[in-house]
Amino acid sequence: MQPSMGLRTPPVRSDAESVPSATKMQIENLSIFYRDFRAVSNVSLSIGAQRITAIIGPSGCGKSTLLRALNRMNDLVPGSHAEGQIILDGQPLYARNVDVVDVRRRIGMVFQRPNPFPKSIYDNVAYGPRLYGVRSKSNLDELVEKSLRQAALWDEVRDKLHQSGLSLSGGQQQRLCIARALAVEPEVILMDEPASALDPISTLRIEELMHDLVKDYTIIIVTHNMQQAARVSDFTAMMMIDEHRAGRVIEYNATRIIFTNPTDRRTEDYVTGRFG
Amino acid sequence: MNHRSIRRQIWRKSINSVMLALCGAAALAVVAPLLLILGYVVREGLPAITPQFFTALPTPVGVPGGGVVNALAGSLMTVGLGLVMAAPVGILAGIYAAMHPDNPFGVLIRFGTDVISGVPSIVMGIFAYTLVVLPQRHFSALSGGVVLAFIMLPTLTRTTEEMIRLVPSSLRDGSLALGAPEWKTTIDVLLPAALNGLVTGIMLAVARAAGEAAPMMFTAFGNPFINLDFTQPVETLPHMIFTYAISPYGDWHGKAWATALVLITLILLLNVAARLLVWWRGRRLGLVR
Repeated sequence: MQPSMGLRTPPVRSDAESVPSATKMQIENLSIFYRDFRAVSNVSLSIGAQRITAIIGPSGCGKSTLLRALNRMNDLVPGSHAEGQIILDGQPLYARNVDVVDVRRRIGMVFQRPNPFPKSIYDNVAYGPRLYGVRSKSNLDELVEKSLRQAALWDEVRDKLHQSGLSLSGGQQQRLCIARALAVEPEVILMDEPASALDPISTLRIEELMHDLVKDYTIIIVTHNMQQAARVSDFTAMMMIDEHRAGRVIEYNATRIIFTNPTDRRTEDYVTGRFG
Repeated sequence: MNHRSIRRQIWRKSINSVMLALCGAAALAVVAPLLLILGYVVREGLPAITPQFFTALPTPVGVPGGGVVNALAGSLMTVGLGLVMAAPVGILAGIYAAMHPDNPFGVLIRFGTDVISGVPSIVMGIFAYTLVVLPQRHFSALSGGVVLAFIMLPTLTRTTEEMIRLVPSSLRDGSLALGAPEWKTTIDVLLPAALNGLVTGIMLAVARAAGEAAPMMFTAFGNPFINLDFTQPVETLPHMIFTYAISPYGDWHGKAWATALVLITLILLLNVAARLLVWWRGRRLGLVR
């Protein structure tokens, strides 16, 4: 594969479109309600395996709501419910007999602000595996190292694994949270504006990391930052609110097309910075 | 600057200084009684404090010396027992109320604790008397512990609830997003993050319970000797203060002040110790710098 890239030249995945990809997640006619209010309306998307899919759109258009529906984090909001279907590898996630714990294990999540637990770096990463019954010290050590390496954090923390996760810088904390999500070996990783609280250098590191991770994982990222969507993603879904204030996907295509030749006028206005 | 704007500025500045003076006076009014009480207790109590005061039993009127070791032991027993009974219930109920604020049971917990905290402690004493002393047919440390548990319960529940709510929801989300069940999230993430506040709640509850004299008259009753048997009556520090204070003897009045000083100092030390423990743990975890 490519040699490791310097900070200044993030790798470009120009080949991603030409390489066919299986569908990892199929979202069919998904609507999300908070009591009577329809927050997201009739979304259908097919998410490619080992691809980065970006969800963009102005504030309040339901991007995060859509993302949080994908691993059923919305279940935690009182009064919320979903209609339609999300299918992960042929398995419907909102079916009755589905175990939410299993869904969240297979679909990990990284949040907008780094949220390490008030525990040591090691315990942060080991938290997930311990939940799923990994007890032996050597297995845990191995998993922690592997996850931290995958999150490109190992070299920075290898000598201080037992210091608090909160002692790290913001960018390191976010990579720790990524390592924590990786440690349970998910298939899909949801990222909710993962770099919006970070400085440009840390942001670039997260983006490079996404490029490395996508070889093994399917990534869906919500971002406010158009350049970020253009830099990192293979596919982009553009969301807007309709006249009932419900979020809809108005255009979904390869990122290159969304940014150079969008079909919808509103997409063009948004990505060229005319509003938003 | 014209005449009007200068006048307006003078007006604004004088309003500012008047308000500042009012705030300062209010702050002083709050702190002054505390300092006065502390100062007076130290002045009146310190002369009677000797090492023997902590090791000896009370002496009869007119016999110099003596101490409050029986009350120290009894207070430790009743407050400790009360805490052991109230802390698990109060903390768990507080967690429940924090996690399910709108659920009817959560509302009931909040309402119930508010009502309990409004019940005068002497009424609680009568309640514990009926509940424990009557069936047992005599006073005991056990009944003292029970009444103190009821007194501590609302404080424990409410502070736990407030403190759990203060934990950022992002921490909870982070754990749940890993597939952790809610109980595991609570024990492994929320409680450690809220520990500082929980300790505050426990300290408040202990301080309040340790100072209760009225319910002790119906329960622990008092005892001039050291008793370590929970089924038998014990002396407690506040009850001892009461006994000394209502007596007609100047000698005992001095001892009442000294006992009060011991009680205040004990609670202060306990508070400082708990704070240090939390601070030390927080520093280890990088919660404070």
